[in-house]
Amino acid sequence: MPVENPSRELILERIRAGLRTPVAPHPGPRSDAVIFEPIRNPLERFQQESTANLMECTLTSDPAGAALQLGKILDSLPAGEIFLQDDPSLRRLIELTKTQRPLRWSSEGAPREASEATVSLAEALIAQTGSVLVTAECGGRGASIVAPCHIVYAHAAQLVPDLETALGNLFRSGKLVRNSFACVISGSSRTADIEKILVQGAHGPRRLVVILQTGR
Amino acid sequence: MSETSAQEFLRKAAVKSADLVHRDIIRQGIESYDAAHLRGRLRFRDWDAARQKCREIKQEAINHLDKYLLQFEEKVRARGGHVFWAANAQEACQYVTDIARRLGVRTVVKSKSMVTEEIHLSPALEKLDIKVWETDLGEFIVQLRNEPPYHIVTPAMHLNRAQIADLFHEKLGERIPGNDPTKLVALARRRLRQSFFSAEMGISGANFIVADSGVIAISTNEGNGRLCTSVPRIHVVVTGIEKVLPRLEDLAVFWPVLATSGTGQAITTYSTLIGGPRQAGEADGPDEFHVVLVDNGRSRLLADAEQREVLHCIRCGACLNTCPVYRSVGGHTYGTTYQGPIGSVLTPHLAGLRQYQHLSYASSLCGACTSVCPVKIDLHHHLLHNRRNAVNSRGSKLGERMMFRLWRSTMLHPRIFVFLSSAGRRLLRLLYRMGLAGSIVDPMRAWNRYRSPVPLPAESFRSRWRKGLAG
Repeated sequence: MPVENPSRELILERIRAGLRTPVAPHPGPRSDAVIFEPIRNPLERFQQESTANLMECTLTSDPAGAALQLGKILDSLPAGEIFLQDDPSLRRLIELTKTQRPLRWSSEGAPREASEATVSLAEALIAQTGSVLVTAECGGRGASIVAPCHIVYAHAAQLVPDLETALGNLFRSGKLVRNSFACVISGSSRTADIEKILVQGAHGPRRLVVILQTGR
Repeated sequence: MSETSAQEFLRKAAVKSADLVHRDIIRQGIESYDAAHLRGRLRFRDWDAARQKCREIKQEAINHLDKYLLQFEEKVRARGGHVFWAANAQEACQYVTDIARRLGVRTVVKSKSMVTEEIHLSPALEKLDIKVWETDLGEFIVQLRNEPPYHIVTPAMHLNRAQIADLFHEKLGERIPGNDPTKLVALARRRLRQSFFSAEMGISGANFIVADSGVIAISTNEGNGRLCTSVPRIHVVVTGIEKVLPRLEDLAVFWPVLATSGTGQAITTYSTLIGGPRQAGEADGPDEFHVVLVDNGRSRLLADAEQREVLHCIRCGACLNTCPVYRSVGGHTYGTTYQGPIGSVLTPHLAGLRQYQHLSYASSLCGACTSVCPVKIDLHHHLLHNRRNAVNSRGSKLGERMMFRLWRSTMLHPRIFVFLSSAGRRLLRLLYRMGLAGSIVDPMRAWNRYRSPVPLPAESFRSRWRKGLAG
């Protein structure tokens, strides 16, 4: 339902009128300097940074190894439903774990509030900050925030060195035109609002696990 | 006669700076921030180059603000979102309350947003009997205390765990043994979780709005911002028109810079981009997405070329943390939405120079704020600009003019200078001897009231100079 918005033109007119007075250029040097250290070994850096972010990162060489890891993590969780991004690779993986837990797929809707864990893929892994990039395609918005444990199944080929590369790829791929949501996730949910003391598991997952497959 | 804002500031500042418990809490909080901030800066190969880059990007954004806002609007609309331009606080609140009324909203969950504090959105919703939950832990705590945020990044920085445990006991009816922060957080999580899943509307701010992609960017650590924008069926973003960045890739420097300046982190845990309601084929997300672009005095500030760069601010809070005045008087003393140096510069523009000009004097002009600002705003000089503008607009008081005239002629005439300074020294010596230092008749009362008087020299600088100090 379109709403009348007379202030739109008013504000734009005020902005244009204001900008007619130019600002003097800033005396500081123009910055072409290198801001961040270049990243030589993305895998090593990702492992370091994700550990610093209090994530768990386990390396495996193939899907069977990944299924073994996933099975172990699921065994460590209390009984309850698991929410999964509906993707053929995750359907194969969960089958390999032979889990008996109730499953809910993203094609059936949002994760239920009482989900014990969510399993999704990622768009990319970012070495610079030890982060996981997800979009709405990775099981929706709730897939990475609703349950107390979020498990990401990713491949080493998805590693990019830095934020600039990840954001550049995201823009150029047109994913943001199709998706209403994307998020760079750098660790488990946390807060330091009480006396600056770090507490994990504020409103989102207490655990963020990346199962990182290095071989095919 | 009711107290003016300036008198209120002085009264509260005197109380707070003498409150030793408060000082201790703030000292500990800021010391831990300082250490994290310094460590965080070391993660950059060249921190100053990062600041310079941010400055250049914001300058480009603000100097083409109309173009970038229109680009943002077009992209959001293409995904089925709505963009509303609000000239002032009243229009912004009206738009949000109209949506709430139209869709029968009973419960709202809010993630942290200083612009919603600025426009007083929560009271406007509460007037309609809508329950509003602040979901950021710090905001939740100050909401329970019926207080505004103490700090733009850490709203409950002024409270220790014992005070928070008492508050939760009183308001939530649960006593946490040992005031354990982990258990306090768990209690808040349990309480707020019910509201996330029952609310019809989520309200968030935006740390940035990105023109080339038509998305808003929100940085949160707790994940409350994620839940507010994922679960309820309506998402409303309320943000200032100045939050624009031209390109998505600009976030590659702004995200780390904001996190480093805000908390010392390398990047905030959830750096989220949202550009519309749930799209076809998406598993979840709201059915409606609204962005309210708030002007509320910002375009007036834009027209002031001298102070335009104040709109570059990314609200990281670094200038508050470093400010010796903020550290002593605390956030609530300012009586404004935005506190500390940036608040003292910005508030007179947003809320009126006449009422808030005194804030320009809540500064020692030491320049610490300018030295830490991640977008290189020349904060302490803007405080001077505000002082000048205040004098120019209201004119000065007769007494002030006379004092300056006297000072001027004294400085221009050495004989008068010698006479007055010698008379002054004698008068003070006499007063001090009579035990009247700091009393109402002491011209140095402002200093001597709380301190032992500065010892008076036996002779003046001039006479010592004549005797050969120069050699």
